[in-house]
Amino acid sequence: MTELNQIDLRALAAGSKRTWDAFVVAATPLINAVIRRTLASYRLSEDDVMDAAQDVFVRLCANDFRLLKTYDPARAGLSTWLAVVSRSAAVDYARRRRQATTPIDDVPEAALAVEDRHVEKLKIPEGLLTERQILILRCLYDEERDVAEIAQLLKIDAQTVRSTHHKALLRLREHFRGEVP
Amino acid sequence: MSMERTPLSDKDLWRSLATDRVAPTAVSEMDFAAWLEGRLSEADAAGIDAAVSANPELRRAALELSDILGKPLPAAAPRMAVRGQALVGFEAERRAERGSWLAGLLPAFSRGFALQRGALAGMAVVVAAVGFMLGGGLGESYATQKYASAQPSGVTLSKPLGRDTTNELNDLFADAT
Repeated sequence: MTELNQIDLRALAAGSKRTWDAFVVAATPLINAVIRRTLASYRLSEDDVMDAAQDVFVRLCANDFRLLKTYDPARAGLSTWLAVVSRSAAVDYARRRRQATTPIDDVPEAALAVEDRHVEKLKIPEGLLTERQILILRCLYDEERDVAEIAQLLKIDAQTVRSTHHKALLRLREHFRGEVP
Repeated sequence: MSMERTPLSDKDLWRSLATDRVAPTAVSEMDFAAWLEGRLSEADAAGIDAAVSANPELRRAALELSDILGKPLPAAAPRMAVRGQALVGFEAERRAERGSWLAGLLPAFSRGFALQRGALAGMAVVVAAVGFMLGGGLGESYATQKYASAQPSGVTLSKPLGRDTTNELNDLFADAT
Protein backbone atom coordinates (compact mmCIF):
# COMPACT_ATOMS: atom_id res chain seq x y z
CA MET A 1 0.00 0.00 0.00
CA THR A 2 1.27 3.44 -0.98
CA GLU A 3 1.92 5.84 1.91
CA LEU A 4 0.63 9.40 1.69
CA ASN A 5 4.13 10.84 1.44
CA GLN A 6 4.84 8.57 -1.56
CA ILE A 7 1.95 9.90 -3.64
CA ASP A 8 2.96 11.60 -6.90
CA LEU A 9 1.28 14.95 -6.33
CA ARG A 10 1.77 16.13 -9.89
CA ALA A 11 0.04 13.08 -11.32
CA LEU A 12 -2.67 13.41 -8.70
CA ALA A 13 -3.41 17.04 -9.60
CA ALA A 14 -3.34 16.10 -13.30
CA GLY A 15 -6.22 13.71 -12.70
CA SER A 16 -4.44 10.35 -12.94
CA LYS A 17 -7.04 7.75 -12.04
CA ARG A 18 -4.45 5.28 -10.78
CA THR A 19 -2.79 7.90 -8.57
CA TRP A 20 -6.17 9.09 -7.25
CA ASP A 21 -7.14 5.53 -6.29
CA ALA A 22 -3.84 5.03 -4.45
CA PHE A 23 -4.22 8.41 -2.73
CA VAL A 24 -7.74 7.55 -1.55
CA VAL A 25 -6.59 4.25 -0.04
CA ALA A 26 -3.68 5.98 1.72
CA ALA A 27 -5.76 8.93 2.95
CA THR A 28 -8.89 7.14 4.12
CA PRO A 29 -7.66 6.08 7.60
CA LEU A 30 -6.63 9.65 8.45
CA ILE A 31 -9.80 11.22 7.05
CA ASN A 32 -11.88 8.61 8.88
CA ALA A 33 -10.15 9.33 12.21
CA VAL A 34 -10.53 13.11 11.90
CA ILE A 35 -14.17 12.90 10.81
CA ARG A 36 -15.08 10.57 13.68
CA ARG A 37 -13.37 12.73 16.30
CA THR A 38 -14.94 15.92 14.95
CA LEU A 39 -18.44 14.49 14.66
CA ALA A 40 -18.32 12.71 18.02
CA SER A 41 -19.98 15.61 19.82
CA TYR A 42 -22.72 15.89 17.19
CA ARG A 43 -24.05 12.36 17.79
CA LEU A 44 -24.47 11.65 14.07
CA SER A 45 -24.89 8.22 12.47
CA GLU A 46 -22.40 5.98 10.68
CA ASP A 47 -23.94 7.08 7.37
CA ASP A 48 -23.13 10.66 8.32
CA VAL A 49 -19.50 9.70 8.90
CA MET A 50 -19.39 8.11 5.44
CA ASP A 51 -21.04 11.12 3.83
CA ALA A 52 -18.76 13.58 5.61
CA ALA A 53 -15.71 11.60 4.43
CA GLN A 54 -17.08 11.69 0.89
CA ASP A 55 -17.41 15.46 1.26
CA VAL A 56 -13.68 15.61 1.89
CA PHE A 57 -12.88 13.68 -1.28
CA VAL A 58 -15.31 15.82 -3.27
CA ARG A 59 -13.61 18.98 -1.99
CA LEU A 60 -10.24 17.65 -3.06
CA CYS A 61 -11.16 16.70 -6.64
CA ALA A 62 -13.83 19.31 -7.41
CA ASN A 63 -13.19 21.93 -10.10
CA ASP A 64 -10.26 20.06 -11.60
CA PHE A 65 -8.59 19.40 -8.22
CA ARG A 66 -8.49 23.09 -7.38
CA LEU A 67 -8.14 22.62 -3.59
CA LEU A 68 -5.50 19.93 -3.99
CA LYS A 69 -3.48 22.27 -6.19
CA THR A 70 -3.28 24.79 -3.32
CA TYR A 71 -1.32 22.32 -1.20
CA ASP A 72 2.34 23.34 -0.83
CA PRO A 73 4.62 20.49 0.29
CA ALA A 74 7.32 22.99 1.30
CA ARG A 75 5.09 24.35 4.09
CA ALA A 76 3.60 21.25 5.71
CA GLY A 77 3.27 17.48 5.29
CA LEU A 78 0.37 16.14 3.24
CA SER A 79 -1.04 14.27 6.27
CA THR A 80 -1.24 17.41 8.39
CA TRP A 81 -2.79 19.50 5.63
CA LEU A 82 -5.26 16.74 4.82
CA ALA A 83 -6.21 16.47 8.49
CA VAL A 84 -6.95 20.22 8.60
CA VAL A 85 -9.04 20.05 5.42
CA SER A 86 -10.93 17.04 6.79
CA ARG A 87 -11.67 18.84 10.03
CA SER A 88 -13.05 21.88 8.16
CA ALA A 89 -15.22 19.67 5.97
CA ALA A 90 -16.51 17.75 8.99
CA VAL A 91 -17.45 20.92 10.85
CA ASP A 92 -19.26 22.28 7.80
CA TYR A 93 -21.09 18.97 7.39
CA ALA A 94 -22.14 18.87 11.04
CA ARG A 95 -23.41 22.45 10.98
CA ARG A 96 -25.57 21.59 8.00
CA ARG A 97 -26.95 18.56 9.83
CA ARG A 98 -27.54 19.52 13.42
CA GLN A 99 -26.32 21.38 16.48
CA ALA A 100 -23.55 19.96 18.64
CA THR A 101 -24.47 18.28 21.91
CA THR A 102 -21.63 17.59 24.30
CA PRO A 103 -21.94 15.52 27.46
CA ILE A 104 -21.49 17.87 30.40
CA ASP A 105 -18.57 15.86 31.79
CA ASP A 106 -16.61 16.48 28.57
CA VAL A 107 -16.86 20.24 28.82
CA PRO A 108 -13.98 22.02 30.59
CA GLU A 109 -15.05 23.63 33.84
CA ALA A 110 -14.02 27.05 32.59
CA ALA A 111 -16.63 26.88 29.82
CA LEU A 112 -19.39 26.05 32.29
CA ALA A 113 -18.52 28.71 34.82
CA VAL A 114 -21.05 31.49 35.21
CA GLU A 115 -19.37 34.86 35.13
CA ASP A 116 -19.85 36.91 38.28
CA ARG A 117 -20.76 40.21 36.73
CA HIS A 118 -20.49 42.01 40.10
CA VAL A 119 -16.73 41.51 39.98
CA GLU A 120 -15.01 43.35 37.21
CA LYS A 121 -12.15 41.32 35.90
CA LEU A 122 -8.75 42.86 35.50
CA LYS A 123 -7.63 43.25 31.94
CA ILE A 124 -4.27 41.93 30.89
CA PRO A 125 -2.39 44.85 29.34
CA GLU A 126 -1.39 44.49 25.73
CA GLY A 127 2.18 43.27 25.49
CA LEU A 128 2.49 42.05 29.08
CA LEU A 129 2.48 38.43 27.89
CA THR A 130 3.60 36.95 24.57
CA GLU A 131 1.06 35.19 22.37
CA ARG A 132 2.76 31.91 23.15
CA GLN A 133 2.46 32.50 26.88
CA ILE A 134 -1.24 33.34 26.57
CA LEU A 135 -1.84 30.24 24.44
CA ILE A 136 -0.13 27.97 26.97
CA LEU A 137 -2.14 29.47 29.83
CA ARG A 138 -5.35 29.01 27.88
CA CYS A 139 -4.57 25.39 27.07
CA LEU A 140 -3.67 24.67 30.69
CA TYR A 141 -6.55 26.46 32.40
CA ASP A 142 -9.33 26.95 29.85
CA GLU A 143 -8.93 23.63 28.02
CA GLU A 144 -7.58 21.79 31.10
CA ARG A 145 -4.90 20.01 29.10
CA ASP A 146 -1.74 18.61 30.59
CA VAL A 147 1.83 19.68 29.87
CA ALA A 148 2.53 16.67 27.61
CA GLU A 149 -0.45 17.44 25.35
CA ILE A 150 0.56 21.09 25.03
CA ALA A 151 4.16 20.14 24.28
CA GLN A 152 2.95 17.81 21.51
CA LEU A 153 0.68 20.53 20.11
CA LEU A 154 3.36 23.22 20.00
CA LYS A 155 6.19 20.90 18.99
CA ILE A 156 8.28 21.94 21.99
CA ASP A 157 9.51 19.92 24.94
CA ALA A 158 7.58 19.68 28.19
CA GLN A 159 10.20 21.65 30.12
CA THR A 160 9.74 24.59 27.74
CA VAL A 161 6.00 24.49 28.42
CA ARG A 162 6.61 24.55 32.19
CA SER A 163 9.18 27.31 31.90
CA THR A 164 6.94 29.46 29.67
CA HIS A 165 4.02 28.91 32.06
CA HIS A 166 6.14 29.88 35.07
CA LYS A 167 7.46 33.08 33.46
CA ALA A 168 3.97 34.12 32.39
CA LEU A 169 2.59 33.76 35.91
CA LEU A 170 5.52 35.66 37.39
CA ARG A 171 4.76 38.56 35.05
CA LEU A 172 1.07 38.48 35.91
CA ARG A 173 1.66 38.39 39.65
CA GLU A 174 4.26 41.16 39.41
CA HIS A 175 1.96 43.38 37.35
CA PHE A 176 -1.15 42.81 39.42
CA ARG A 177 0.58 42.85 42.82
CA GLY A 178 -1.73 44.57 45.26
CA GLU A 179 -4.75 44.15 43.01
CA VAL A 180 -5.01 40.38 43.29
CA PRO A 181 -3.76 38.38 46.25
CA MET B 1 -8.40 36.98 63.28
CA SER B 2 -5.87 37.36 60.47
CA MET B 3 -6.79 39.74 57.65
CA GLU B 4 -4.16 38.34 55.36
CA ARG B 5 -5.62 37.20 52.08
CA THR B 6 -4.79 33.72 50.89
CA PRO B 7 -2.81 33.96 47.65
CA LEU B 8 -4.76 32.86 44.62
CA SER B 9 -3.67 29.66 42.92
CA ASP B 10 -2.27 29.99 39.40
CA LYS B 11 -5.57 28.74 37.99
CA ASP B 12 -7.66 31.14 40.05
CA LEU B 13 -5.35 34.00 39.17
CA TRP B 14 -5.89 33.29 35.47
CA ARG B 15 -9.64 32.94 35.97
CA SER B 16 -9.77 36.29 37.77
CA LEU B 17 -8.41 38.08 34.71
CA ALA B 18 -10.36 39.21 31.65
CA THR B 19 -8.86 36.98 29.01
CA ASP B 20 -11.39 37.31 26.19
CA ARG B 21 -9.83 38.82 23.12
CA VAL B 22 -10.91 39.84 19.68
CA ALA B 23 -10.17 37.02 17.26
CA PRO B 24 -7.65 37.97 14.59
CA THR B 25 -8.40 37.36 10.90
CA ALA B 26 -9.18 33.82 9.77
CA VAL B 27 -6.34 31.33 9.45
CA SER B 28 -5.87 29.51 6.15
CA GLU B 29 -5.72 25.72 6.09
CA MET B 30 -2.18 25.79 4.75
CA ASP B 31 -0.99 28.21 7.46
CA PHE B 32 -2.70 26.18 10.16
CA ALA B 33 -1.06 22.98 8.93
CA ALA B 34 2.36 24.66 8.88
CA TRP B 35 1.76 25.95 12.43
CA LEU B 36 0.73 22.48 13.63
CA GLU B 37 4.04 21.13 12.35
CA GLY B 38 6.00 23.91 14.05
CA ARG B 39 7.37 25.09 10.71
CA LEU B 40 6.53 28.78 10.99
CA SER B 41 8.97 31.52 11.96
CA GLU B 42 8.54 33.00 15.43
CA ALA B 43 6.81 36.07 14.00
CA ASP B 44 4.40 34.06 11.82
CA ALA B 45 3.74 31.58 14.61
CA ALA B 46 2.81 34.43 16.96
CA GLY B 47 -0.05 35.38 14.62
CA ILE B 48 -1.43 31.85 14.67
CA ASP B 49 -0.85 31.61 18.44
CA ALA B 50 -3.04 34.70 18.83
CA ALA B 51 -5.76 33.28 16.58
CA VAL B 52 -5.74 29.93 18.37
CA SER B 53 -5.79 31.46 21.84
CA ALA B 54 -8.66 33.81 20.92
CA ASN B 55 -10.85 31.16 19.24
CA PRO B 56 -11.96 28.17 21.36
CA GLU B 57 -13.07 26.16 18.30
CA LEU B 58 -9.68 26.64 16.62
CA ARG B 59 -7.96 25.73 19.86
CA ARG B 60 -9.93 22.52 20.18
CA ALA B 61 -9.24 21.69 16.53
CA ALA B 62 -5.52 22.19 17.11
CA LEU B 63 -5.46 19.93 20.17
CA GLU B 64 -7.53 17.18 18.56
CA LEU B 65 -5.61 17.15 15.27
CA SER B 66 -2.32 17.13 17.14
CA ASP B 67 -3.55 14.11 19.10
CA ILE B 68 -4.75 12.23 15.99
CA LEU B 69 -1.58 12.91 13.99
CA GLY B 70 0.57 11.62 16.82
CA LYS B 71 -1.04 8.18 16.99
CA PRO B 72 -1.41 5.08 14.79
CA LEU B 73 -4.64 5.26 12.81
CA PRO B 74 -7.33 2.58 12.91
CA ALA B 75 -8.45 1.11 9.59
CA ALA B 76 -11.51 2.61 7.94
CA ALA B 77 -14.42 0.73 6.38
CA PRO B 78 -13.47 -0.38 2.81
CA ARG B 79 -16.67 1.24 1.52
CA MET B 80 -15.27 4.68 2.39
CA ALA B 81 -12.34 4.24 0.00
CA VAL B 82 -14.49 2.68 -2.72
CA ARG B 83 -16.83 5.68 -2.68
CA GLY B 84 -13.91 8.10 -2.77
CA GLN B 85 -12.25 6.30 -5.69
CA ALA B 86 -15.46 6.41 -7.70
CA LEU B 87 -15.32 10.22 -7.80
CA VAL B 88 -12.53 10.25 -10.35
CA GLY B 89 -12.76 8.24 -13.57
CA PHE B 90 -10.72 7.98 -16.72
CA GLU B 91 -12.54 11.07 -17.99
CA ALA B 92 -10.52 13.27 -15.67
CA GLU B 93 -7.28 11.85 -16.97
CA ARG B 94 -8.28 12.16 -20.61
CA ARG B 95 -9.36 15.77 -20.15
CA ALA B 96 -5.94 16.59 -18.80
CA GLU B 97 -4.11 14.78 -21.58
CA ARG B 98 -6.20 16.06 -24.49
CA GLY B 99 -4.23 19.01 -25.80
CA SER B 100 -4.48 19.18 -29.64
CA TRP B 101 -7.52 19.98 -31.80
CA LEU B 102 -7.06 16.68 -33.58
CA ALA B 103 -7.25 14.76 -30.31
CA GLY B 104 -10.39 16.69 -29.58
CA LEU B 105 -12.04 15.20 -32.67
CA LEU B 106 -11.61 11.68 -31.36
CA PRO B 107 -14.51 10.06 -29.53
CA ALA B 108 -14.28 10.13 -25.78
CA PHE B 109 -12.86 6.73 -24.98
CA SER B 110 -9.40 5.35 -24.45
CA ARG B 111 -6.71 6.33 -26.87
CA GLY B 112 -5.73 2.70 -27.58
CA PHE B 113 -9.22 1.75 -28.68
CA ALA B 114 -9.47 4.79 -30.98
CA LEU B 115 -6.23 3.79 -32.68
CA GLN B 116 -7.57 0.30 -33.27
CA ARG B 117 -10.70 1.64 -34.89
CA GLY B 118 -8.67 3.98 -37.07
CA ALA B 119 -6.43 1.14 -38.22
CA LEU B 120 -9.40 -1.09 -39.00
CA ALA B 121 -11.09 1.65 -40.98
CA GLY B 122 -7.92 2.21 -42.99
CA MET B 123 -7.58 -1.46 -43.76
CA ALA B 124 -11.20 -1.64 -44.87
CA VAL B 125 -10.58 1.21 -47.33
CA VAL B 126 -7.48 -0.53 -48.71
CA VAL B 127 -9.30 -3.87 -49.16
CA ALA B 128 -12.21 -2.20 -50.90
CA ALA B 129 -9.91 -0.29 -53.24
CA VAL B 130 -7.88 -3.40 -54.16
CA GLY B 131 -10.98 -5.44 -54.75
CA PHE B 132 -12.45 -2.75 -56.94
CA MET B 133 -9.31 -2.51 -59.04
CA LEU B 134 -9.16 -6.30 -59.49
CA GLY B 135 -12.74 -6.26 -60.70
CA GLY B 136 -11.85 -3.90 -63.54
CA GLY B 137 -12.71 -0.54 -62.18
CA LEU B 138 -15.73 1.73 -62.42
CA GLY B 139 -15.54 2.43 -66.18
CA GLU B 140 -15.59 -1.25 -67.20
CA SER B 141 -18.45 -2.01 -64.91
CA TYR B 142 -20.54 0.84 -66.32
CA ALA B 143 -19.89 -0.13 -69.93
CA THR B 144 -20.81 -3.77 -69.31
CA GLN B 145 -24.09 -2.73 -67.71
CA LYS B 146 -24.92 -0.37 -70.60
CA TYR B 147 -24.36 -2.91 -73.35
CA ALA B 148 -26.04 -5.68 -71.42
CA SER B 149 -29.19 -3.63 -71.04
CA ALA B 150 -29.22 -2.71 -74.78
CA GLN B 151 -29.02 -6.33 -76.15
CA PRO B 152 -31.54 -9.19 -76.06
CA SER B 153 -30.61 -12.03 -73.79
CA GLY B 154 -28.64 -15.02 -75.13
CA VAL B 155 -26.50 -12.99 -77.58
CA THR B 156 -22.79 -13.05 -77.04
CA LEU B 157 -21.43 -9.55 -76.93
CA SER B 158 -18.05 -8.17 -77.75
CA LYS B 159 -17.24 -5.97 -74.89
CA PRO B 160 -15.73 -2.63 -75.96
CA LEU B 161 -13.30 -2.51 -73.06
CA GLY B 162 -11.36 -5.27 -71.43
CA ARG B 163 -11.13 -8.92 -72.33
CA ASP B 164 -14.27 -10.78 -73.32
CA THR B 165 -14.44 -13.98 -71.34
CA THR B 166 -17.93 -15.13 -72.36
CA ASN B 167 -16.60 -17.16 -75.36
CA GLU B 168 -14.13 -18.93 -73.18
CA LEU B 169 -16.92 -20.06 -70.91
CA ASN B 170 -19.04 -21.09 -73.95
CA ASP B 171 -16.06 -22.94 -75.32
CA LEU B 172 -15.74 -24.85 -72.08
CA PHE B 173 -19.37 -26.00 -72.24
CA ALA B 174 -19.07 -26.81 -75.98
CA ASP B 175 -16.00 -28.98 -75.40
CA ALA B 176 -17.84 -30.84 -72.70
CA THR B 177 -20.58 -32.03 -75.02
